Amino acid sequence: MSSPSSHALEITRLHFRYQGRGPNDPGFELQLPSLTLARGEEMLLIGRSGCGKSTLLQLIAGLVDPNSGTVHVGGQDIHALKGAARDRFRGRTVGMVFQTFNLLQGFSAMENVLVALLMSDVPKAQWADRAQSLLRSLGIERLDARAEELSVGQQQRVAVARALACRPTLVLADEPTASLDPENAVNAVRVLRDACREQGAALLVVSHDPSLEAHFARKERLDELMKRRAAHDSTREGASA
Amino acid sequence: MSDLTIVLRSLRARLFSTTVVVLLVAVSAGLLLAILSLRSAGERAFERGTGNAHLLVSRDGSPLVSVLNGLFYANSPKAPIDRAKLTELRESFPWAMFVPTAIGDSYRSFPVVATAPEFFSKFEPVLGEPWQFADGRAFDKNFEVVLGSAVARETGLRMGAKLVLTHGSGKSREGAGAGAGDEADEHSHVHKEYEFTVVGILKPTGSPHDRALFSDLESSWMLHAHDRFERLGQEKLVTAADLVDDDRKVTGVLLRLPSREGSNTPPALVSQYDKLRRDGSITVAIPSNEVQRLFSIVKSIDVLFLAMAGATLLSSGVAILLSMVNSMSERRRQVAILRVLGASQARIFWLVLTESTIVGLVGATVGIAVCATVLFAATAWLLNAHGIVIAPELDARSAVLVAMGTTLLAAIAGIVPSVLAYRTSVARNLRPIG
Repeated sequence: MSSPSSHALEITRLHFRYQGRGPNDPGFELQLPSLTLARGEEMLLIGRSGCGKSTLLQLIAGLVDPNSGTVHVGGQDIHALKGAARDRFRGRTVGMVFQTFNLLQGFSAMENVLVALLMSDVPKAQWADRAQSLLRSLGIERLDARAEELSVGQQQRVAVARALACRPTLVLADEPTASLDPENAVNAVRVLRDACREQGAALLVVSHDPSLEAHFARKERLDELMKRRAAHDSTREGASA
Repeated sequence: MSDLTIVLRSLRARLFSTTVVVLLVAVSAGLLLAILSLRSAGERAFERGTGNAHLLVSRDGSPLVSVLNGLFYANSPKAPIDRAKLTELRESFPWAMFVPTAIGDSYRSFPVVATAPEFFSKFEPVLGEPWQFADGRAFDKNFEVVLGSAVARETGLRMGAKLVLTHGSGKSREGAGAGAGDEADEHSHVHKEYEFTVVGILKPTGSPHDRALFSDLESSWMLHAHDRFERLGQEKLVTAADLVDDDRKVTGVLLRLPSREGSNTPPALVSQYDKLRRDGSITVAIPSNEVQRLFSIVKSIDVLFLAMAGATLLSSGVAILLSMVNSMSERRRQVAILRVLGASQARIFWLVLTESTIVGLVGATVGIAVCATVLFAATAWLLNAHGIVIAPELDARSAVLVAMGTTLLAAIAGIVPSVLAYRTSVARNLRPIG
C-alpha cells in the first residue's frame, strides 16, 4: 500500500537476473542492496554499457518485475501493484526520458505532452494550459510542429516536458545525452535538472558518460553499488562461519 | 487529445497503407451493396414490365413462356388464338380490361405489337403509370404506327415517317424505296405493299414496351391475309373487306379484372385464374407471379454473385489484418511509449482494435458513398442514353447491414494485431537498453 514517505525512490535488496537468449546475449545479473533518493533530489548513476542501467530504470518504473526485493516510488511498492493499476501509478508518478527521446512520431510537440496527460488523473480542463506552459518554459514555440520536424535539442525538450507533464514524483532519464554533442549534452542536462527542480521532481539519470559527473552533487557508480552488495554478503558469510 | 486522436494519428502515420486498405474495403463493400441494389432493381425492372395486367392468356407452352413472349417480347408466340376463342374469352367475364395482341411482325428486329386502341387507354405499361406520348397520338386508323421510345431513338424515325414491316423476326426496310441490299432473312418477308406511317412516339416507360412498335390489329391481319392470297396465286392489295374470321387471330390477351379503387388484387382473380386454367386449349398466366418464378429460378446465380462479393469483402478483412500485422514492427515502439506513459495493456488492445474498426467503418462509408454515386450516375446514363429504367435504389437497410458487417469484419481482423500489441514487451521495445 502507498504510505507517505520522504523518499521519492527506495530500493531494497533488489535482485534481477536476465537469462540471455544465446551466445551473443549471455544475460546479466543485477543486485542492488539499497538505493534511496529523497523527494526533489538529483542523482547521477554511472555505469558501463551493458551493465544493466536501463534495466534498473525499467525495474524502478515497474516495466520489468524483479526476482526479489522491493522498489518503492513515493512510498508505494510499485511491484505490489498489478496490471492497469501499476500502469496508472507509473503514468502519474514516474516520468521517463530516453536516449532517443521516444517521441510519438506523427504527433505534434503539444500532442506528445497531451498524451501523457491523457493517461494521468490531471483534470482535462488543465491539459492544454499545462502542456503549453511546460513546452514554452522549455523554449518550444512551435507547439504544432510534428516530432520529426523538430531539431534534436527541441525533441529532447519535448521529451522532458512530457516526462514532467503529470507532476511526477520521480523522473528517470536513460542516457539523456548519448545522442547529443558535448555542448548540447551540457544544455540538455541543465534543461532536465532545471525543469525537475521547478516541478519538484526527483531526478535519477543513468549514463555511461563520466563527463556528466561535474553537474551532479550526488553520483554513484552502479558497479560499486553492486560490489557493496558482494562485500556485504561475504562479511555476513564470514561472521556466520 | 483522446484515445481517438491517438488512433487517428497512428493511421495518419501509415497513410499510404491505410489509404490502400480503406480503398480495398470500400471497393468490397461497394461491390456487395451494388449487387444487392442491382438484384432488387433487376427484379423491380422486370416487375415494371408486367404492367397492370392481372392475367395474360395465350397458347404458348407454359405461363412463363407466355409472359416472356407476350409482355417482354422475347420471341414471337407460335400458336394463335382464333376469333371464336377470343369471343368466348371476352364474354366469359365482365373484364375491366380486355386487350388482344398479335405479335409476330417486326421492324429492324424490334417487335411490332398489333393491338386494340384500349392498349393505350386501359393498359398501363407500368402499374400506376399510364402511357405518355412524347409526340403525336395513338393510332386510330389502319397502317398507323406508334413507336416505343427506344425504337424512336435507335432508328431515328420521326413523326410522319413511312416504314414497312417484316412478317417474322427478320429485318425490314424503311420506306418502300430503301436500298435493295437490306433484305429480310430467309424465314421472313417484307410487306412492301403496306406502308405504315408514324403517328406517335411514346415517352420512356422503363419497360420492354420501349423497344416495340404498336399498330392496329386490322392492319396486321391484312398483312397476313395478303400472304393467304399469295399462296392462292392472287396478287391483290388486301382491304378490311377481304378479311375472314380465320385471318382475325391474336397471340395473346391482356386481362384486368375489376378491383376496388387503389387496390391491385381483385377478389375474383383466383377464381378466374382457376377457371381459365381448366381450359386446356389456352395458357393462362398471372404475370407478376411468373416474374417471381423467373427470379426464383435465377436465384442460384444470384447467390453466386453474392458469395463472390462476400469473398471480396472477406479478402479485404484479411488485408486489414495483414496491413496491421505488417505494421507491428513500427507500432511496437509506439505501444511501448504509451505503456511507459501509463496506458494499460487493455487500453492498448482497444486502441489497436479501434484502429482496425475505423478502417472498416471508413471503408464501408466510402464504399456506400461511391456505390450510391455510381448507381445514381449509371441510372441517369441508362435512362438518357438507352431509355432503360433500372432505377437501382440504395436500400437503406442493405447499406446499414453492409456497413455493420464490414465494420464487424474489420474489428475481427483487428483482433490478432490487437493481441500482438497487448503482448508487446515494453522493455524490449524501448531500445537501446543497457
